[in-house]
Amino acid sequence: MSSTVVEQRRLSPPFTARNSKLLIVFVGYVVATIWSWRYIHMSFAGLFGGFSDVAALIARMLPPDFYQLSGIISATIETLWMALLGTTIAVLISFPLSFGAAKNTTPNKFVFALCRGIITMTRAIPDLIFAAIFVRAFGIGPLAGILALGLHSIGMIGKMFADALENADAMPREASISTGASKWQAIFASILPQATPTMIGTSLYRLDINVRASAVLGLVGAGGIGFIIQSALRSLDYPSALAAVSVIFVVILAIEFFSSKVRASILGERSASVVVVRSQSERSIRRTGRDRTLLVDAVTMRSLVPPLTSDRKSRIISVWVYAIMLGIALGTINMPIFSSFGYFDDAWRIVTQLVPPDFTTARSELITGMSETLAIAFISTTLGLFIAIPLGLLSSRNIVIRKMVFVGTRSMLVVFRGIPELIIAVLFVSAMGLGPVPGTLALTLVTAFFMSKLIADTFEEVDPSPREAIFATGATRMQELFGSVLPQAMPALVSQILYMLDVNLRSSTVLGIVGGGGIGFLLLGSIRVFEFGTTGAVVFSIFVVVYAIELVGSWVRGVLDKAN
Amino acid sequence: MSLNRFDQEADPIVRLSDISKRFPNGTLALDKVSLEIPRGQLLCLIGLSGSGKSTLLRHVNGLHKPTSGSVDVMGMRVSEAANKDLREVRRHVGFVFQQFGLINRATCLENVLSGALGRLNWPRYGVRSYPKQLRRLAFDHLDRVGLADQAFQRADTLSGGQMQRVAIARSLMQEPQMLLADEPVASLDPESSGQVLELLLKIATEENMTVICTLHQVELALGWAHRIVGLRAGKVVLDRSAIGLDQRDVMDVYQRVDVTEAPTADEDVPTSILNS
Ligand SMILES: Nc1ncnc2c1ncn2[C@@H]1O[C@H](COP(=O)(O)OP(=O)(O)O)[C@@H](O)[C@H]1O
Ligand SMILES: [Mg+2]
Repeated sequence: MSSTVVEQRRLSPPFTARNSKLLIVFVGYVVATIWSWRYIHMSFAGLFGGFSDVAALIARMLPPDFYQLSGIISATIETLWMALLGTTIAVLISFPLSFGAAKNTTPNKFVFALCRGIITMTRAIPDLIFAAIFVRAFGIGPLAGILALGLHSIGMIGKMFADALENADAMPREASISTGASKWQAIFASILPQATPTMIGTSLYRLDINVRASAVLGLVGAGGIGFIIQSALRSLDYPSALAAVSVIFVVILAIEFFSSKVRASILGERSASVVVVRSQSERSIRRTGRDRTLLVDAVTMRSLVPPLTSDRKSRIISVWVYAIMLGIALGTINMPIFSSFGYFDDAWRIVTQLVPPDFTTARSELITGMSETLAIAFISTTLGLFIAIPLGLLSSRNIVIRKMVFVGTRSMLVVFRGIPELIIAVLFVSAMGLGPVPGTLALTLVTAFFMSKLIADTFEEVDPSPREAIFATGATRMQELFGSVLPQAMPALVSQILYMLDVNLRSSTVLGIVGGGGIGFLLLGSIRVFEFGTTGAVVFSIFVVVYAIELVGSWVRGVLDKAN
Repeated sequence: MSLNRFDQEADPIVRLSDISKRFPNGTLALDKVSLEIPRGQLLCLIGLSGSGKSTLLRHVNGLHKPTSGSVDVMGMRVSEAANKDLREVRRHVGFVFQQFGLINRATCLENVLSGALGRLNWPRYGVRSYPKQLRRLAFDHLDRVGLADQAFQRADTLSGGQMQRVAIARSLMQEPQMLLADEPVASLDPESSGQVLELLLKIATEENMTVICTLHQVELALGWAHRIVGLRAGKVVLDRSAIGLDQRDVMDVYQRVDVTEAPTADEDVPTSILNS
């Protein structure tokens, strides 16, 4: 005890600045959720009614009917090529951009601000919005989708590339400079090699994301399988819609599997992949033996090219596979590559009409739309959290004792996460009609699937020793859960909720495109009737709100990280 | 000798005239240091941690610019040189770091090849981007440091001593007139320290290179150096021929100055000194 005499012992913890800030955030969040609930007229009756409508729709979809199979397959292939080309464009732009956006390689402050600005902008505007605008400029078809993916992906790829450059060890660069290398020689010789594995991993990961994204671009006419799903639903051909959904679903899962495998082999042991590489199989032993011989031979023969070890071989093969796929994609995709350059005029005209944004013409729709978007984001995050916590607990191996339970829950979640959220939204809108409620329910489900994995991972990282100590006092499992697991996991949980809110806000801006409520409706409408000034106002508002939530999120994380 | 005209044959090869260095945070790292280093001399720089040894070395190849005073290296006024001239000087001055400065993921051969960047024009990436003739040369240098067998191994698979030898081979790739070595063996175990230092000196003598080396092990320094220079709080406090110098004279350099004047940096006295 301190020297001062404590006359009356505190029976509740002191109220620090950190705690009061967090309390304000909590109250703010609860108030926002309640307001949201009222704003879009949610009700528990409507909630359960909605789920039963969807169940009825799914019953009408069964069994899937594959009579359109050839169309579905070619649309699926188109979807893949769109993702590949879009990602390629994004990587090609992001690469030079990242050198400007990394503190240690940027030529000057102006270039730095410019490059970071481009990255933030492209990240804040959803790909579907880019796609809707580009469809107006380049016409219906995959080109609009490819450009949309290309632009939007710059946000993430550029940021990750720049971070990889910034994280490079500075010593080798100083050594290069000391040998008399120029600035760019030193960067290429010593910074870039350190960043390449991350760069390749990021590109593959983004390709994975873009396959999902390109599956729904067809909803706004930007090519791919989304178009088939949309038109099947419109003509009430539900079994065919389900057929298309299941094909793309299987393809997405397969791509995810392969991409995580390739990433694991590139990033080596440091990768955090779900695919477990068996470390010392007979084949790998033989392979390392062969590699060693190759290395020895190369040295004794004074070979001036690096020997063809298995690593190198698989790298060369990957490059060739990629090049061939790129060639096929460019050759077969239904897209007039060169003639479409003529449309860049149109595109430029649209861009010039986006600014200055026109906030007055559709002022009330803009306000309603943005409010609805925020409301959807808050409700789906909160509801999703309520579903995700039990699911997360069920899929943590250190909380559920029975292996069957957590393996079963985990696998179910992996499968559900494979379905793009907008496809779920389309289904809900088809079952329940237009409006924010079906959109909210769809996002709620997606949040639950996604967040339960985050929560399970957090629970599994909880330090086991306090748990044992609490059990030793004779506590029940539930008491232990609240007494030691939740307090330990709390900061991570809060940060995940913020993250989900951010993700859901971005998603809910585009829900309106499929009739799921929010600002997307006005956006699509303004593009359809060529009121690009309003489009500009919508895009600007989305950017501001998304950016604001991001800032609030990083502020709260900062408060969380403080000790008191 | 004319100023600002690069001259490989210049003698003295380095001339520091009254240089002082104050870092932006206020630390006075060098305080009116003057030194002339004749061609071919093996000079050993000693002093407590934080006494300004690294800062001095970095002035010689222009990684730092002095706050006042001038630095001339091979006829070039490094302290005022334009980038292009600076690169010209650096091409002829090898720098060996305590932390090696290797690219971990790259092969040894590629690391050695990067020593040739100063005489190449464009940025390079990967072994294949260097001319064949340079690759042959890089192999020879690896051979010289006894690591040709590891040419295609990744640098991070080597031991510390081997890494420093690769770094030496990278310097050789520059065909330098002079070698600056900043505690080249401080990260190594005693046995590889001995080997690396021996290799460094053997090569320097064979090539008739000028060497400025900072070192913690005074006994080692006395064994090979022509000249010992001691720094304390950024000032030269000892500058003597190594011949006839005994350990006690050197120990004075490591005596702490008045506490109030002491540099604020960590002042760990090297263990080899305390034990001797
Ligand atoms: N870049 C820098 N910025 C500020 N202070 C520095 C910098 N580099 C070195 N110093 C300071 O200059 C003094 C001399 O450092 P240094 O030359 O590294 O000493 P030594 O190599 O002898 O240990 C130390 O007090 C150190 O903290
Ligand atoms: Mg030092």
